[in-house]
Parts: sequence; structure tokens; C-alpha cells
Amino acid sequence: MNADGQVLFEIRGLCKSFGNTLVLDHIDAEIRKGEVVVIIGPSGSGKSTFLRSLNLLEMPTGGQILFEGKDITDPKANLNVYRQKIGMVFQHFNLFANKTILDNMTLAPIKVLKKSKAQAEEEAMRLLKRVGLEEKAGAYPAQLSGGQKQRIAIVRSLCMHPDVMLFDEPTSALDPEMVGEVLAVMRDLAHEGMTMVIVTHEMGFAREVGSRVLFVDEGKIKEENTPAAFFDQPKNPRLVEFLSKVI
Amino acid sequence: MEEFKLKFIANFITDDRWKYFTNGLGTTYIVSFFAIVLGVVIGVLIAVVRSTADTVERPPLVVKLLNMICKLYLTVIRGTPAMIQLLIMYYIIFGSVDVSKRLVAILTFGINSGAYVAEIIRSGIMSVDQGQFEAGRSLGLSYVQTMWYIIIPQAFKNVLPALGNEFITLLKETSICGYIALTDVTHGANTVRSQTYEPYMPLLGAALIYLISVSVLSALVTRMERRLRVNER
Repeated sequence: MNADGQVLFEIRGLCKSFGNTLVLDHIDAEIRKGEVVVIIGPSGSGKSTFLRSLNLLEMPTGGQILFEGKDITDPKANLNVYRQKIGMVFQHFNLFANKTILDNMTLAPIKVLKKSKAQAEEEAMRLLKRVGLEEKAGAYPAQLSGGQKQRIAIVRSLCMHPDVMLFDEPTSALDPEMVGEVLAVMRDLAHEGMTMVIVTHEMGFAREVGSRVLFVDEGKIKEENTPAAFFDQPKNPRLVEFLSKVI
Repeated sequence: MEEFKLKFIANFITDDRWKYFTNGLGTTYIVSFFAIVLGVVIGVLIAVVRSTADTVERPPLVVKLLNMICKLYLTVIRGTPAMIQLLIMYYIIFGSVDVSKRLVAILTFGINSGAYVAEIIRSGIMSVDQGQFEAGRSLGLSYVQTMWYIIIPQAFKNVLPALGNEFITLLKETSICGYIALTDVTHGANTVRSQTYEPYMPLLGAALIYLISVSVLSALVTRMERRLRVNER
């Protein structure tokens, strides 16, 4: 978890508005290789929109996002190339309902990275084993529990060997007893040095695993700090109020 | 009973009249089958263009242009009777060329059905959760790859009952083939009627043939539905 690595994301003056509503208001931020950046904030604060902007699922209406030094907001940029390197895990898992677990994991490696089927399946099975779900390879998503689906979603992203993983409230749609199994996988990833940006309400996890915590409110980053300082000595009054409600 | 037997012989056996029915049935099946295939191809293409134009934030100019063409196509095809379309295709579009009547019928019914299939598939595409699309794109799949491998298969499954309905309608609609003197089941039966001056047997026979064909077709669709539902267990 070193925070001195190269800059992966450089975000300059990022704005996003839906109609007349400004959701992101000139956000500047940097995310470095190896960091685990946790984003917290009240609902409607723009934290998910911010995360989704990083792989352009939301098109920014202003500002720039540089990924590994290249401007991905440039209209001429080939998004498919960048998105391969940016893994994304969604609140509602979004496993492909028409495909088996194994096909979910091998589709992109085969079609995008042009791997052979055997090679892609071998790697997928290895990753499935790692999260203890190898016996589900032939199952369909509808046959799995929420926690299992989310673990699959994480390793599906890993099949593309991303440089960074984005997590959009990965445990918010789970039954409480399934949260732990998903967080365990994420914790392992963090310990391996994966760069992660996580939007979550799991404060304990943020404190334990995060290398930096951002508080987003009203479309701005209102406070950012190391987890210890962030939770123990919050300065922004909105953050103090927010923390008093959720902890 | 004796009378029934005589009539049966007159309508189906004498002068090999059964051939009107079997040849006609061949035509009905060939025209229906290829029209369904053509209709599905046209329908999927149009549905993709239409839903792309509706959902993408800033659709490229090409998409907008294609969308306009598609809308025009839908308006014209759904706004005019299939029979007029068949006559126009035969007497105007292919009026001065010698072309197989079956081909004319396949093109007409395929193009006609495509308009209805397009709207059915489009509703299917719209019914697939947006998250499926986002997941595909976030893995680096292109728009077209995501559509083809993820969205369309699910859309297709969702609308299969409606599609089956459209196929049944199409099969029966081919009964107007006689208007360009193409012998399908209906035209064949009517020819026999005009030769024997006996309406009951040829017409009821034709009706029975359609009924059985439609039953088989809908059984096929049901079987397909069940097979595609595996992933919902």
C-alpha cells in the first residue's frame, strides 16, 4: 500500500450536470498506483457519479480526466482501450444473466484481449478457486446468492488484468451476513497492491483498508485525509455531522 | 358416408388435385420461412438503430440519419396493407423484370414483418437492465459487442412470446399470395374449388392445414422459450 506510486488518475476541474442540476462541481483529485481510495458521503452527494466518471459511464460535462497520462475525456480517445484497464464492480453485480459464470468471466478476455478459449477458461477457473466458487463455473447468475454474485463480479473484472478497480457501493445490495465475504475478497486485493477506488458506507472497512478517505458532499470533495485522521479528527462541519449519523 | 367418399375423391384424388395442396403447402412454408428469417434480420437491425438513437446521449450523425430512415420505413410499412405491398412489389418494383413469384412474396412478407419484429425487439432491448450494458462496456467490450453478446440474446428471450405471435400472423398472411397468381395453400384450394364447384372440402381442408401448421409453429416457439429459460432456474 504505497502511496508514492505513479499517478494513475489525474482529475482536473471535473464537472457533471444533469440538465440544470450540477452534480459534480469542479472536482480536482489524484489517484496513485497502489492506493486504496475510499469515497464516502451522503446519498445524492455525487460520489457514485464521480466514480462512474472515471471510466466514462458518465460523460463529464466539463474538466479533464487523465488516465496514465492520457486524456480520456478527449472525444477522439478510444474508450474501449481504457475501460479494459479499469475494472468496475457495481452495486447490483450486473452479471450477464444469459451467460454461465464461466462465460461471464471469459467473454471479455476472449473478445477483447483475443485470448484463446482454453487460456481464458484456465485463468477464470484459477480466479474462481481463489474466491472458493469453482463449483459454480457452470451455473447461471440467477442461481447464486448476492454475495456469491458480487465475488464473481470482482473476479470477472480481474480477468481483464485491470490497472485499477472501481467499486460502486459493492456491499449495499447485500444481506448483512454476505457483506463479510465480499469485503474479504476486496481486502485481499488491497493487500496484493491493487489500486482501488471504493464508494462505500462500510466505515470500518474504510478505516481498516483505505490509504486515503475522501468526503464528497454537494458535488465537491469537502475533506480528504488518512483514515485515522479522517475519522478521529474530522474538520469539515458537514463531515462531523455525517459521521455522527453513520457511526 | 358414400357421398363423403365421392367428394373426397373428386376434390383430392381425381386429376392429382392433391398436388394443388402439397405444392401450395410447399410454397406457403418456403415463403413463410424465408420471410421470417428476413424479417428477423431487418427487425434486429432496425431495433438496434432505434434504441441506440434513443439511449445514447449524443448519437452520431449517422445514427440519427439511419434512425430517420427506419422511422419512415416503419410508418410506410405499418401504414399500408400487406396486400397492396405485395401488388406494388410484383407489378411496380419487379414489374418489368422476370423474377420468381416466390422471391417477390418472400421479399414482401419479409420486409413487412421486419417492421413489426423491429418494434417487438426494440421493446425487448429496452426491457433489459441498463446495468447489463454498463457491465459489458466497463469490461472493454464495444457497443456492438455488448449489444450482440449480452443485450440482444436477453431481449430476444424476453420477447419470444410476442415474436411467436408475429410468426403465426405472417404464416397466415401469406394466404394472399394468390393475388400475384402464386399457388400457395389458399390459392391451390381455391383452384380446386373452381374446378369441382364444391366449396366445403377444399376450403375446410386448407383451413385445417393452416391450423395444423400454426399449432406446430407455436409448439416450436414454446419449446424454444423453455430452452431459453434455463438460465432462470
